[in-house]
Amino acid sequence: MFYHNFKYTLKRLLKDKMLIFWTFAFPLILGTFFKMAFSNIEEKEKLELINIAIVNNEEFENNIYFKEVFKNLSNKNNKERLFKTKYVSESKANILLQKDKISGYIVLKNTPKVVVINNGINETIIKQVVDEISSQEKIIKDIINIETSNYLNNDLFKKNSISNDFSSSIYKKALKTIENSSIKLNDTSNKNLSYTMIEFYTLIAMGCLYGGILGMVAINQTLANMSRSGKRVAISPTSKLKLILSSSIASYLIQLIGVFLLFIYTIFILKVDYGNNLFYVIFLIFLGCLAGLSQGVGVATISKSCENTKTGILIGTTMLGCFLSGMMGITMKYIIDKNLPIINMINPANMITDAFYTLYYYNTPDRFYYNIISLLIFSGIMIFISVLSLRRKKYDSI
Amino acid sequence: MIVFKTYFKILNKLKFPIILYTSILIFFSIFNMQTSDSSNNFIATKADVAIINYDDYKGITKNVIEFMKKNNNVIKIKDNNFNLEDALFYRDVNFVIIIPKNFRKDFLDNKKPIIEIKKTGDYNASLAEMYLNKYLKTANIYLNVTKNEEELINYIERSLSNNTKVEIISKLDTIALNRASFYFNFLNYCILAGFIYAISLIICSFKDEKIRKRTIVSSMNYKNYNLKLLFSNSIFALILWLFYVLLGFFILGDVLISINGLLYFVNSFIFSICALSIAFLLSNLLSSKNAINGIVNIIALGSCFLCGAFVPMELLPKTVLKIAHILPSYWYIKNNEVIKTLDKFNFMSLKPILINLIIILIFTILFIIITNIIAYKKRKID
Amino acid sequence: MKSIIEVKNLTKEYRNLKALNNLSFDIFEGEILGLLGPNGSGKSTTINCILSLLNYNSGSIKIYNQEMQPDAYNIKKDIGVIFQDIAVFEELNVYDNIDYFCGLYVKNKDERKELIKDTIKLVGLEDFIKFYPKQLSGGLLRRLNIACGIAHKPKIIFLDEPTVAVDPQSRNNILNGIKKLRKQGATIIYTTHYMEEVELLCDRVIILDKGKIIASGTCDELKELINIEEKVTVEGIDINKNLLKKIRDLKNLKNINNHEKTLIITYQKGKNNLIKLIDFLKQENLPYSKIYSERPTLNDVFLELTGKDLRD
Repeated sequence: MFYHNFKYTLKRLLKDKMLIFWTFAFPLILGTFFKMAFSNIEEKEKLELINIAIVNNEEFENNIYFKEVFKNLSNKNNKERLFKTKYVSESKANILLQKDKISGYIVLKNTPKVVVINNGINETIIKQVVDEISSQEKIIKDIINIETSNYLNNDLFKKNSISNDFSSSIYKKALKTIENSSIKLNDTSNKNLSYTMIEFYTLIAMGCLYGGILGMVAINQTLANMSRSGKRVAISPTSKLKLILSSSIASYLIQLIGVFLLFIYTIFILKVDYGNNLFYVIFLIFLGCLAGLSQGVGVATISKSCENTKTGILIGTTMLGCFLSGMMGITMKYIIDKNLPIINMINPANMITDAFYTLYYYNTPDRFYYNIISLLIFSGIMIFISVLSLRRKKYDSI
Repeated sequence: MIVFKTYFKILNKLKFPIILYTSILIFFSIFNMQTSDSSNNFIATKADVAIINYDDYKGITKNVIEFMKKNNNVIKIKDNNFNLEDALFYRDVNFVIIIPKNFRKDFLDNKKPIIEIKKTGDYNASLAEMYLNKYLKTANIYLNVTKNEEELINYIERSLSNNTKVEIISKLDTIALNRASFYFNFLNYCILAGFIYAISLIICSFKDEKIRKRTIVSSMNYKNYNLKLLFSNSIFALILWLFYVLLGFFILGDVLISINGLLYFVNSFIFSICALSIAFLLSNLLSSKNAINGIVNIIALGSCFLCGAFVPMELLPKTVLKIAHILPSYWYIKNNEVIKTLDKFNFMSLKPILINLIIILIFTILFIIITNIIAYKKRKID
Repeated sequence: MKSIIEVKNLTKEYRNLKALNNLSFDIFEGEILGLLGPNGSGKSTTINCILSLLNYNSGSIKIYNQEMQPDAYNIKKDIGVIFQDIAVFEELNVYDNIDYFCGLYVKNKDERKELIKDTIKLVGLEDFIKFYPKQLSGGLLRRLNIACGIAHKPKIIFLDEPTVAVDPQSRNNILNGIKKLRKQGATIIYTTHYMEEVELLCDRVIILDKGKIIASGTCDELKELINIEEKVTVEGIDINKNLLKKIRDLKNLKNINNHEKTLIITYQKGKNNLIKLIDFLKQENLPYSKIYSERPTLNDVFLELTGKDLRD
């Protein structure tokens, strides 16, 4: 009996084209769109060379230090290169700026001036570099002053007789001090910082939870008040719980196949990074599908509305859950996590997403376990509610 | 009249998706309205930085923190491992500075204490790192000169207190126009997902095998009937477009009372007509309402992701944008992006907009021709 | 005869509406029982209660002298139901549909194969085994619906209007099938609106209205109940009041109705009523175009008992 119903549930569900489209194909297609749209975002956020122009007036030509710094920062061989610099006349620079070819240009007239077209990060960096040059000029002056006075204090003989040699050597020394004063910072950032991964994690979460629709449809077909075939089932000499169990397992199997196809697709085609612990990831998928299934079964048994409405409820709650866990912008997940953590604590889409995130980003498994336990509790509650309402065997109306 | 009436009765049943997508539009447009004033003074971009200080808030430690505070947005985050790492991952902060214990003392003793940092590796992180580097470098240099903390701080502050003059030459209200473009780009999704869905389903209802038979046997002229249907669809498209224009005024305000605004309207109007032709095509191509639901979703999401309605065009890979050329949405969104930067209005500056509009119209004509070919072939099979 | 289903004082209420009102009846082994009644009279509700699909407020239902329960599987395995609405899976073909529902009763695969083969032959779907429900015409679909209900060779069969919207050939096929099932020893409970089917098939009839049994018995018993033996219609006759009065005086006459040159006379009992009328008309030299006599049908009984107001 168990196998008989199992086999036919599989057959029926796999024949339902719309169902298979939404649970199998739709997440795949959406994932492809994600990949196409997001693959460049993080690259573009990295610092790229900034196009600037410097007005090559007389003052600039005479300011050796200024010239030297920009030459250095525009040098192809410099690791810390920042700029692509054009040396042009002021009117030309203006045209370049208007045509959006450069982010801004620098004019030296007594003090340096930066001309830009709007506010922005590139513009800020240009200003910041010019600021720094001014600072360094001050530093050099300070050092020269100090060195000179020291020199004068120490060598009483040479009072009033500072040679050209001396001043140029002191200048060089100051420059060297600046060049050599490198500082060390201990960078402990995590290397797995790609936030677009969250999008794909919510996608898997969506796949898992959409799978609940399969369970809902399968269960509906065994309920006398939901479908005509359910009436036939109800009058047959078979235990309803047994049938529901075998239908659920059949839909769970299809759900797993769907999500694993999606999973494999995301790994090999979309190059999604799931961290290093494959065993945990697979375990998580099994649990995620269980949560989806139990949600589907729960909706099937609790709600008395028709199948379309139930599908609507499942799609609606899943999409809302995915939205709150960052599918339409990862900031949403962060805002909720930070300000209203209770919402994401009861949101199965977030439990799945957050568990994936933890596996990817953190080395410690505590938070992963927390999510796993949340998923188990969620599934448990849903199954408990379903069993409660399934225990009623007769209906008041059909 | 009866066709018209029935049309809107059926439409009434389909209002839910339209309401849904409109609320999404409103939500995201308002979400996008982050405050930043649009004055013509230069405002330096500030990175979001978190500072965790294990040292006493005194002397050089205090000074470095103050310097970072002046040049960055300091975000307060409790020093709990998850909080900090989460904030970094979700880009709540771009840069984290962890100042070790005894930093001040070790620094003054020239022990070169090392500050721990965490960064996201993007523009903002680089900017914050520049500031920190600059400060520490300067401090190190002056440490060679003086060991007196007060003197040291004096030196540092003096040499770092620069403010290069920055001049902004454009008068264009970029922030407001950015918002407007965001709104109209997102409108792409509403039009494709809500509007096309509703219209194809209505046409599908009218074209239902049995209902069509009833209509054909009735005394109404079938051609006339089709014209009435077309008229109803156009009225609906017009009403919806007007609604979105008004909604735009409501959300965006005065920016739209300008030539830019007018161009946005023209662009969205032409695109609505194109959407109408897509709806006609779909309802002729597909017979099942379920299939329409699936295909419309794919078309809407695909167009929005690939053409830059969700992710700005400049962030999309070049190959994706090339593929997007075959979608009308691409030209619609491209136009919005052009309109955003427009501040001189003459034939030369309007020419690219006109070309894009013509391309959208060519798409429309193409869809209408295909629809007619399909309809003709289907009639033959009957 | 052995009673196999015993319904006692069955009452079911939907909010304030009494759907079934103190219903009591027996069903005997081997009979075909017709359950008649207008739409909404409680036929389907009765069946659903017997099948333990619906809760009821009071009363008892016993099958094989055992209380019917949702988990009374030993009883359920002997029951087959053909529902009014087509209850098959769109996603499965004809064979798979029958196999699935039969499989809920019969575990053994080989046994099932035999049963399905027999059933398909019985309903005449041999040529459509691989077809999907969508590809079947109305009549074939009805037959598939029946096959799904009876493939496991049940001993008690409920048929809820199985011949709605079916062409005469298919209906004939279905009715013959039912007869065959009875021959094989099944007890059948049959609901329908087609009176001639009931007259043709049923041993006994129960007429329900507003949740109550208003009459029961064999067809003949029911016909006697309404005191009509014969109805004579005379068409194309011009008759005056005087003559009408004379006709009224004829023997056995129950009722007379004169309307637009048509005279309808109903008789209670007696024989040769028609001949006597013809004699009378000849005697009075009254011309007419047509005269014919009808025996009352179950239809008349039904309308007489339940009234002619529209239902639903």
